[in-house]
Amino acid sequence: MTIRLSDLSRCFQGVTPSIVVTADARGVPNVAYLSHVHYIDDRHVALSRQFFNKTARNIEENPRATVELAEPLTFQTYRLRIRFLRSEKSGPLFDSMAMRIQAIASHTGMSGIFKLIAADVFEVESFEKVEGFLTDAAGDPSEVTSVDGVRSEIRGLQLVAERVSRADSLDLLLDSVLESLDVYFGFEHTMILLEDETTKRLVTIASRGFEESGVGSEVQAGEGLIGTVARERRLLRISGLREDLRYSRAVKRESGVGAAEIPLPGLPDAQSALVIPLVAGDRLIGVIAAFDRDPLRFGEWHAAYLEILAGQIAFGIERMLDRMFDRDEEQVTERTAPAPAIVPAEGPRRTLIYYRNDDCIFVDGEYLIRNVPGRILWKLLGEWQRDGRTDFSNRELRLDPSLGLPPIKDNLESRLILLRRRLDEKCPEIRIVPTGRGRFALRATGALELIER
Amino acid sequence: MTDSQRRSPAQRGMSLYAGTVGVDGMPAGCRAVALTTDESQSTLTVYVPMATSRDLVAGVAATKKLAVVAAYPPDHSAIQLKGTTTSVRLANDDERALLQDRVDGFAEELHRLGYSLRAVRSINHWPAFAIEMKVEEIFDQTPGPKAGTAIR
Repeated sequence: MTIRLSDLSRCFQGVTPSIVVTADARGVPNVAYLSHVHYIDDRHVALSRQFFNKTARNIEENPRATVELAEPLTFQTYRLRIRFLRSEKSGPLFDSMAMRIQAIASHTGMSGIFKLIAADVFEVESFEKVEGFLTDAAGDPSEVTSVDGVRSEIRGLQLVAERVSRADSLDLLLDSVLESLDVYFGFEHTMILLEDETTKRLVTIASRGFEESGVGSEVQAGEGLIGTVARERRLLRISGLREDLRYSRAVKRESGVGAAEIPLPGLPDAQSALVIPLVAGDRLIGVIAAFDRDPLRFGEWHAAYLEILAGQIAFGIERMLDRMFDRDEEQVTERTAPAPAIVPAEGPRRTLIYYRNDDCIFVDGEYLIRNVPGRILWKLLGEWQRDGRTDFSNRELRLDPSLGLPPIKDNLESRLILLRRRLDEKCPEIRIVPTGRGRFALRATGALELIER
Repeated sequence: MTDSQRRSPAQRGMSLYAGTVGVDGMPAGCRAVALTTDESQSTLTVYVPMATSRDLVAGVAATKKLAVVAAYPPDHSAIQLKGTTTSVRLANDDERALLQDRVDGFAEELHRLGYSLRAVRSINHWPAFAIEMKVEEIFDQTPGPKAGTAIR
């Protein structure tokens, strides 16, 4: 059977380090490990150049090299004889290779130190399976994709798209997207982060399949895998994440510089990641991320499907936020339920402290929420305590200058969802319950002590 | 002293790869299964499977140039030894146990990193060539800005 380079897709995912042998003009060989060999097409590959090292110098003197790739599941190896063609320092190939390195570098605190200098493009003169490398017969290296699997994912794509378009609240949209990705794509560990227009940070608003939901956790643009995707607005698919991190940590150790490592969100032992920006038009809405412990969990078709879906999700969220803004004052009577009276004496006593200098609220010494959602909660609790108010409207929040909401695209709906979910997790004695379009009620049980510092 | 210098290239669990260049200038290489050195690392013997080392042995026969990298998989610390080969011979039967032990050690190390123990242990290691080399240069090969720095 003739094997094509494209049949070796798992070898190109960076799960197993590759090896390159070069030689200088005097014929002295050099062996180096490579973190990643990038497949371009059946005749071309690219090697990442992060440092001007011996391999790079040798290639200038002798353009020929041998690369050995290993299939991560069977460990079968393949040998490529290649010839240097050119170095690319910009363009789609460079950007695609640089993105992966930037994300890993940022994650390990090596931004600006561990970076792509060039994508060195080589022609593949020949390649072969290294016969006799293993005594056990190696498995078929081609990607195993059952037709049923593809069909169910295409169907899944349609169903998720339908759910996005049918959702009548942002809450429902977020949850149904994550549930659908689990059911139809088998993505068990997922999260959606939305960009906060005022702080320009990404805030986790929904998650599924993690031990801790992480709702409310924040990421700076450019920080870690998720922040890099947000800044670059480009999809990132990483297989063999652990190998990449080990490689980057080795560089960090050798460099003796770099900042602290950023913990992987949600799944600390993740081995693969698929992170996609949610962009509507030219506006970054947020990021959707999936993690898995299987180093080969996310295939190219997953990335392609999810990228299509991400566009629809982004427009769905934007539509929802705009609609909430436009219909602020509508009353939807069929969904309106009378807010029950507050029963302050029942339930446990909770102490909430609001720190004015950083808009932060702690409940019984534990961080609850900050920034705009923090100010909103403090306003609601204050009016409840002073006047016994329980019913509120989005409109009055928008008109309150003390909350600091931007005049347009204020993401109030997502901030209320974030606040509601944080309360559910950290202080279930306080609940925010929608009572109609643009209206909600504050429900509190137990004795609440409010302290402002 | 760096991790790569502290660690012996001959120790169990190392990932070994040997490279050379043919008379036509084409670099060639193959995974090695074991390595031994004298105490001062002035000479070494690297063992390569006969089944997979055709190009390497042909290159060595023609140019006598050899480079061997020994890397420790968990942290990528690595050392590269370069020199001139002095002989290529068939590995002896009494060396076979060493080769089996080193393949097992490598497989165990990779298994701890998530690879299939069975797959890695099935790396063909016998019969093997033993390539002896006079070590002329040693480099730190750990990835990073100092990769390629001469140790000796």
